[in-house]
Amino acid sequence: MTRNFRPRQLVRAALPALLLLAIAACGGNYPNSTFLPNTEFNRDLTATWNTMMFWGTIVFVVVEVILIVAIVRYRRRPGTPEPKHVHGNTLMEITWTVLPLVVLGIIAVPTVRYIWKYQAPAPADALKVQVIGHQWWWEFKYPQYNVSTANEVYLQAGRAVEFELRTVDVIHSFWIPALGGKRDLINNKTNILWFTPDSTGEQSFIGSCNEYCGDSHANMRFRAYTVNAANFESWARHQAANAVFPPPPPAATEAATAVPAANTGATQPAPAPAAAPSTGFEFPREQMGAHTLPSTPIPASLKFNEALLANGDATRGFETYSRSLCIGCHTIRGNPASRSPIGPDLTHLASRHTIAAGLFPNDAKHLAYWIKNAVAMKPGAKMQVVGKGEIDAVTKKPVAAGGLTDEQIADIVAYLRTLK
Amino acid sequence: MATVAASPTYASHATGEKEGIMAWLTTTDHKKIGTLYLHTSLFFFIFGGLEAVLMRWQLMKPNMTVVTADQFNQLFTMHGTTMVFLAIMPLSAAFFNYLIPLQLGARDVAFPRLNAFSYWVYLFGGLFITIPIFGWMAPNGGWFAYAPLSGRTYSPGINMDFWVLGIQILGVSSLAAAFNFATTVINLRAPGMNLMRMPMFTWMSFVTQFLIILAFPVITIALVFLQFDRFFGTNFYQVSAGADPLLWQHLFWVFGHPEVYILILPAFGLVSEVLPTNSKKPLFGYPVMAYSGILIGFLGFGVWAHHMFAVGMGPIGDTVFSLTTMLIAIPTGVKIFNWIFTMWGGSIRFTAAMKFAIGLIALFTIGGISGISHSSPPSDLQQTDTYYIVAHFHYVLFGGAIMGIFSGIYHYFPKMYGRYMNETLGTWHFWLNFIAMNLTFFPMHFSGMLGMPRRIYTYDANQGWDTFNMISTAGAFLLMPATLIFIYNFFSSKKGGEPAPPNAWDAATLEWSIPSPPPEYNFAKIPVVHSRYPLWDLTHPERTKDVPHTDAGMVHTGEHDVVDMHIETETFTAKQLGIPMPSATIKPFWTALGMVIMFTGLLMMPHNKTAGYAGIGVGAAMLVGFLYAWLTTPLEEHH
Repeated sequence: MTRNFRPRQLVRAALPALLLLAIAACGGNYPNSTFLPNTEFNRDLTATWNTMMFWGTIVFVVVEVILIVAIVRYRRRPGTPEPKHVHGNTLMEITWTVLPLVVLGIIAVPTVRYIWKYQAPAPADALKVQVIGHQWWWEFKYPQYNVSTANEVYLQAGRAVEFELRTVDVIHSFWIPALGGKRDLINNKTNILWFTPDSTGEQSFIGSCNEYCGDSHANMRFRAYTVNAANFESWARHQAANAVFPPPPPAATEAATAVPAANTGATQPAPAPAAAPSTGFEFPREQMGAHTLPSTPIPASLKFNEALLANGDATRGFETYSRSLCIGCHTIRGNPASRSPIGPDLTHLASRHTIAAGLFPNDAKHLAYWIKNAVAMKPGAKMQVVGKGEIDAVTKKPVAAGGLTDEQIADIVAYLRTLK
Repeated sequence: MATVAASPTYASHATGEKEGIMAWLTTTDHKKIGTLYLHTSLFFFIFGGLEAVLMRWQLMKPNMTVVTADQFNQLFTMHGTTMVFLAIMPLSAAFFNYLIPLQLGARDVAFPRLNAFSYWVYLFGGLFITIPIFGWMAPNGGWFAYAPLSGRTYSPGINMDFWVLGIQILGVSSLAAAFNFATTVINLRAPGMNLMRMPMFTWMSFVTQFLIILAFPVITIALVFLQFDRFFGTNFYQVSAGADPLLWQHLFWVFGHPEVYILILPAFGLVSEVLPTNSKKPLFGYPVMAYSGILIGFLGFGVWAHHMFAVGMGPIGDTVFSLTTMLIAIPTGVKIFNWIFTMWGGSIRFTAAMKFAIGLIALFTIGGISGISHSSPPSDLQQTDTYYIVAHFHYVLFGGAIMGIFSGIYHYFPKMYGRYMNETLGTWHFWLNFIAMNLTFFPMHFSGMLGMPRRIYTYDANQGWDTFNMISTAGAFLLMPATLIFIYNFFSSKKGGEPAPPNAWDAATLEWSIPSPPPEYNFAKIPVVHSRYPLWDLTHPERTKDVPHTDAGMVHTGEHDVVDMHIETETFTAKQLGIPMPSATIKPFWTALGMVIMFTGLLMMPHNKTAGYAGIGVGAAMLVGFLYAWLTTPLEEHH
């Protein structure tokens, strides 16, 4: 080791890294920041944080400055005399016991206030959303609107929303960082979380599961959209309606639009409307933030003949779907064969922007790979592997009888794409 | 008070001593057992570190495929389990073993064979829980193993069986050791060493033993419930039968939070030895330091539900646990200030040990402040289960516990091996470690507050987390050369380090009044202690003149080999001095192995009944047989 390079010089080398960190922290685009003032909830949480960081910074500076002064000033040098042997000082001990108590008192005031504020009942006119956690996807139900959907939750800007949180398997945690704090989904218990997205405008947000829940915990994401009242009503009305296949020509359906029983709070589906309106509001893809457009790569090991997608036939797909393994788990309201409540409701699948709990964009290509082998696309996925010749996750053998060929999958994709 | 060289009573050289590997397998010497603990736990520390490096590699950029989801889940489960149960706790145990009897002026621990048993159970339990990762069959439910995910329904494989049984095995080791050390401290203190004269490391260790004694039964009950659920179909956490999964969380954290103090208090104790010695000053506010340690231990049992602010406990529970959590900052802050004012006005010698001790003060402060920020439930709702928490507890456990333990290793190495560790390499280790540690964990504050959840094996692009993850990964890679320097220094200094005098750092406590490495009997004559700083009473009386002293004549022991405070310079064998020492015995080794074979049999039950019954039968027979043989053999041979 040379004399002219001492370990202390490492500190100088580390400074650029710290500077980079500081720049990264101050500039940059942070769409999931927990400090975004989108809700009163988040603003109050940020205010609590700011109080704590103000005092925390003072404590930090005081402690580190005294520490640094001590080690610089009292460094042993040749000829340093024997120090004075102080064993303690009662007054100082009392000081550094009482001063932190005062600081903690200052922090405790907003803490206790906000604990009670956000565990009080939600405003009476709040939008109610039932959130049901599954390994590894989110089910959203709107009892006031008879809507059942998955992995994309629409909220009304300016209106309080009350989430009723439940789980069907293990513990999950519901979190939209840019809108507020999280709350766990606990078995045999209904938890409540509410806030008002009062200053968001129309925006898209990322949500995620925050309690470790097994293999694909990292892939249990969702999207939240805040939309204005008219758009919300349009979306909800359309989502409550049944899927119609084959889809009616656009103009003819307006008259047949049935308005679902709004604000009844009923959890049972109302008698099914005769036909779906062909249009309902859908959060525009071009308004979606870059962070809400998934970019998960398709695993290289999974192959699908993408050329087939252009020739997929929706009618054949409807028939194949209605006889396939798919109906063992999925519901498509309007398709009498498909009524199982186990997997996500596919009634208006094509109106969603993502599939597989926010892992992939909802387009023909990703749907095809997903149907062929969901487990390869998303580790541990509970959806059965249906692609013919693919290795089944449970039996570890190639799927044979009942498996779907690439042609059949292309047809089913064509059918699913009609479920606007 | 004079220097007394022990005089041999008879000169015949010791015979019949075991040598080579058998000497280690049969040892009941607390110093040898401490050495075994130190090496084994350093191995597990490296192993757990490599698991972390793999995880950081996977998280370097979005959508990486270095490991699979399940492999990542095994890695974070085992990283946590390894660092808590196999690295930091046993690193502390290495110091308990080596130092407590020496600091007390005792010749061994209260139950030397139980001590050997604790080590062997730890080793076998550690292997039991670690080996499966080589086949990617390791536990994958998190080190916290939340119900119902950890139950048979959602974790059907053998993975969590390793965990639920392995942690029980390790719990036996911890409990046996804790009873042993608590008894040692209560009963084997040198004449004149009342509780308020114990060295601060022994004080903090004493508090830690009670935390273990009170916390481990809780996790044991939780684990037995989980084991019964998994193996025998009971319904303690079976949610489909109506169980409340929060039962597990409450039991786990009633153990889990005191566990944090079990990890940190021994490190606090170590730096409380290093700082005064290297500042040439007594510890500032000794009684307050002792009481604040007790208070931390006491309050540590009343804050567990702050891990559960998101579960919906209701406002009363949230308020109570928030306020108790804030209170625990007081005794911790008191310690920080007392350490700084120990140095203030001193004459500071910057040994490697001292640098790590100062590093602990600087970094633990950051962990303490971020800790306050999630003692407030409203704020915590944005922080819990994010990378902000990962940042927080690594500042506490890496910046605190690990820094303190490194400090202790550099400081006590000359006592253990009679040689100094290389100070230049130690300084390199400190600065690389300090920089890499901050580079790894400081950015996690940002990634957490910017919305990144914990325990995710992958994340998407454009989330605003890329830069921070890249820096964290770079820091983790830099921790590897830092640790390599330490390991090289550790092993090369054993043979080639600069020889150290018995009182290598001009310290104040009893362990430095005997030769290095200490003879098997530790003290030829048990010293009579007159103050908190018995060795400074002899070497630097001016430093201790203001602390309470007792006259030599006030201590009556009635024992013939008790002598007034003195320095021992010569090494003999126990036989030469006629000191009865506990005999070497293999029985604790076989007893521990039998217990682990028994657990392995239970592990096999769902897969192969014959192997299962055989394992349980053989293991139980070994356990009972060797335990019986052990208990009917006297501790000491009669001379």
